[in-house]
Amino acid sequence: MSAIGELQRLNTSTGGPPRKRDTRAARKRDTRAALLFLLPWFAGLLLITAGPVAASLVLGFTDYNLIQPPEFNGLENFERMLSDERLHNALRVTFTYVLVSVPLQLACALGLALLLDRGMRGLAFYRSAFYLPSLLGSSVAIAVLWRQIFGAEGLINQFLNVFGIQGTGWISDPDTALSTLIVLNVWTFGAPMVIFLAGLRQIPVMYYEAASIDGAGRWTQFRRITVPLLSPIIFFNLVLQIIHAFQSFTQAFVVSGGTGGPSDSTMFYTLYLYQRGFGSFDMGYASALAWLLLLIIAAFTAVNFWAAKRWVFYDD
Amino acid sequence: MTDLRERTHKASVAVPQKEVRIPGSARSVAKHTGLILLTLVMLYPVIWMVASSLRPGEEIFRSPGLIPGSLEFSNYSEGWNALSSPFGHYLINSAIVVLGCIIGNLVSCSMAAYAFARLEFTGKKIWFAIMLGTIMLPIHVIIVPQYVMFSQFGWVNTFLPLIVPKLLATDAFFVFLMVQFIRGLPKELDEAARIDGAGHPRIFAQVILPLMLPALATTTIFTFIWTWNDFFSQLIYLTDPEMYTVPVALRSYVDATVSTSWGSMFAMSVVSLLPIFLAFLVGQRFLIKGIATTGIK
Amino acid sequence: MKKLIAGVAAALMLAGCGGGGGGKADGDLTADKIELRFTWWGSDARHQRTQQVIDLWQKSHPNITIKGEFKEWNGYWDSLATTVAANDAPDVIQMDELYLASYAERGALLDLGTAGKNLSTTDFDANALATGAIDGKQYGLPTGVTTYSLVANTDLLAKYNVAVPDDSKWTWDDLKRIGGELSKASNGEVTGVQSWGFDIGGVNIWARQNGASLYSPDGKVAIPADVLAKYWQYLLDLSKQGIAPSASVSVERAGAGLDQSGTATNKSVFGTWWNSQLTSLAKASGQNLKLLKIPGESTATSPGAYYKPSMFWSISSRSKHPAEAAAFVNFLANTQEAADVLLTDRGIPANTKIRTALTGKLTGTDKAAAEFLDSVKVGEAPRVTPNGASDVEAILKRHTEEVLFERKTPQAAAESFIKELQAGIDAA
Repeated sequence: MSAIGELQRLNTSTGGPPRKRDTRAARKRDTRAALLFLLPWFAGLLLITAGPVAASLVLGFTDYNLIQPPEFNGLENFERMLSDERLHNALRVTFTYVLVSVPLQLACALGLALLLDRGMRGLAFYRSAFYLPSLLGSSVAIAVLWRQIFGAEGLINQFLNVFGIQGTGWISDPDTALSTLIVLNVWTFGAPMVIFLAGLRQIPVMYYEAASIDGAGRWTQFRRITVPLLSPIIFFNLVLQIIHAFQSFTQAFVVSGGTGGPSDSTMFYTLYLYQRGFGSFDMGYASALAWLLLLIIAAFTAVNFWAAKRWVFYDD
Repeated sequence: MTDLRERTHKASVAVPQKEVRIPGSARSVAKHTGLILLTLVMLYPVIWMVASSLRPGEEIFRSPGLIPGSLEFSNYSEGWNALSSPFGHYLINSAIVVLGCIIGNLVSCSMAAYAFARLEFTGKKIWFAIMLGTIMLPIHVIIVPQYVMFSQFGWVNTFLPLIVPKLLATDAFFVFLMVQFIRGLPKELDEAARIDGAGHPRIFAQVILPLMLPALATTTIFTFIWTWNDFFSQLIYLTDPEMYTVPVALRSYVDATVSTSWGSMFAMSVVSLLPIFLAFLVGQRFLIKGIATTGIK
Repeated sequence: MKKLIAGVAAALMLAGCGGGGGGKADGDLTADKIELRFTWWGSDARHQRTQQVIDLWQKSHPNITIKGEFKEWNGYWDSLATTVAANDAPDVIQMDELYLASYAERGALLDLGTAGKNLSTTDFDANALATGAIDGKQYGLPTGVTTYSLVANTDLLAKYNVAVPDDSKWTWDDLKRIGGELSKASNGEVTGVQSWGFDIGGVNIWARQNGASLYSPDGKVAIPADVLAKYWQYLLDLSKQGIAPSASVSVERAGAGLDQSGTATNKSVFGTWWNSQLTSLAKASGQNLKLLKIPGESTATSPGAYYKPSMFWSISSRSKHPAEAAAFVNFLANTQEAADVLLTDRGIPANTKIRTALTGKLTGTDKAAAEFLDSVKVGEAPRVTPNGASDVEAILKRHTEEVLFERKTPQAAAESFIKELQAGIDAA
């Protein structure tokens, strides 16, 4: 068990106090270097990001129809949210989507990445095949393709027909439409899979070798080597996929033709926001909605970072 | 310094490739059967799209299925020439944007990531939170003020609004990605280099960058794919058809109220899928070749 | 806070050329080299035709360059809203009936009546012209007109031995009965009718036949809830009795666009369409389609049929070259050489002189569509969609879905629809 023992030693060493090299001189040198390294980012923050973000915050307190100048209306937009039933529905839909699709997608991505990481025949072929769906992105073709599978006369129903079952039109039935979007999201697990693969590449092979010499089984290796060493990447995927899922827009937009239908069953938060802003010329309210979304996402991310202290392992 | 790099390099070469297990043939057959079935499920829509691009436009929805009655390549030639410029023009435009974005993301995001991952400076946590915060606002409320700003700069109808933000590390996704990778690298490497008298720029360029090749490859692949597929900002900023990129051009075949040129649309979708698929095929080799960071600890 | 808002407002409006246009709309055309931006939505076929017309204009006006910008429908409106917000709107804008008032009443469009000698409207049918006017100001010049119709697949009718109904006096009950016969005769192969209720035309017709209208002349929602409830009850009956497809199939086909509709794929015998869509439908279907007048006209309180402007030409109120833009619109709308290229792509021309000249040149389904338009007896056009109601079709679609899936009763849906639509208008 020597490799695992070594790992545990490393693990505990990270929990300790920062090393002594963190002297004042080093910190000063670090700050100078940080200014240099962050220069492009600071410039981008100031010149590109800050203005529009601030404007959207101010617009959240206005009535703004895009064509005429915005007018201050205090907290009206936020009061309106309390009684906006379509917003409440959008929140329900979005939360369901995030809580179901993110774990499913990450599990698929990690599972396939592990399977494909081990040297096997046809590895490159499978990896490419599994990634191909993600390449389609938000192409208009997706809507049509999805109907070929989940439509009333799509592949699934043809298959069910063989057993004499008459399926519904899965995309257009309010009871099942959201599920098809979750499947669509899982189907494009290629992106997190690639990130996992890149992360697995960084795990020293010798740990596994030592562990298997010590007689550790696959499961033990996974739990004691892969998970801790991959944890920064798992964490990254988790944080980013949650953010992305909350902002999920394109797939619902493309599949439902921009409506969030049938009867609002795929009305994601950002889709609703977009419809208010551009469809109904209600950009003030849309901006307020955006900031509520920011608070929700930020809360989720903060919880994630807080929890990460318990399970994410860094070598610093 | 150089000998450090050599050591790293040698270490990676010296490490034996992961042992190829030779499983029982029955198990292997079962595994491959399973994977091939999964592949078919995953690829069915893509195969359907390719099949549809090869049949006459009117037939696509009247008699759907995988096997076309006759192979029809005219969708490709018609689709290629259906818009105001040959489709190749949009491919080139997209390629320019993609190239700019890749360079931007690689350089600026890796620099920012190094600072967040390896340097101790005042307010680091707050800056990091702000960075993450910038990707939490949906683009639809940012786009109008941003458009106003870029039109003041006189940048509308150029590729600048699409590329310059990437040069300035506004894509927090990649900064965060690289931060996570760098934090996964053993710190002993930095310290060894520091003892050799290297400053941060040298440590960054000569130690960290070579070691984070998988992360750089990932960034390149994703930037390529996402920029290639990004529709909304390209639609808003590129108004002149001469400047249109692939996703904007692709939607020009579609009109729900009159007939859409489905044949052309599918054919050009296939054409536009090729470059990103090739990019992925090339890029993934770097993922496999990623330097194994062993022998140091 | 107020100051902050003013600052943001100033920053937002400052962009572009800053406020009002250059020159006057009825002034002389410039001899300088200028460039006009011209934007439209559509498919590749329209892009090609429109570019040909631009090339024609370029021959006679080499100094006034026209830059065409084409987009698909959804992206078009996002892009237009953004450019208008930034004071950077294209000069000549293809406009839709749904959005006309939303842009015009907020001051984004030029009153074309001020263009004087640069833009003539004398050859236009007065009824059609009125559809582009708000409070006496002409904000849009209709490119063409269409009218609501029932498209019947005569090949399928013959196959199931059902006679083509006499559309001069058929009623909604007749449609239901014949549709039921067809569904039965085909053993579920096809449905007699394709469900509708996803575009505003059907509601307008239904309201008008019942002596009501969707909007009152002053732009309030005016349709009584019980009239609307009966409309949805009718659609629900069709779906539940197997005359139209099941709810999920109907919703799916409605969302998939023209090419995948029941009519285009020969899975429904009757479908409601704008007459101008006949050619596209026939091309997709590959079978013989015939335009029929809408049912219920002979027994209706007042005629339901009307001319809907298929789209408008509008000019940005902030255009720097309004006179030249008006002259270009004049070229598009009033000259034979432009009409010969555009044909009926943007509807059957609302310019009567052009229409007469063009009808002779049309063939096949285009000709049938034009002749149908002349044969329909129409009433006064309904009021243009009011400011704040540009999303009426999205609201309608959602309520139709809730009725078809029986999540709301027709009566409850009607009340909710009216309330939501009125709220949007009040907020604008």
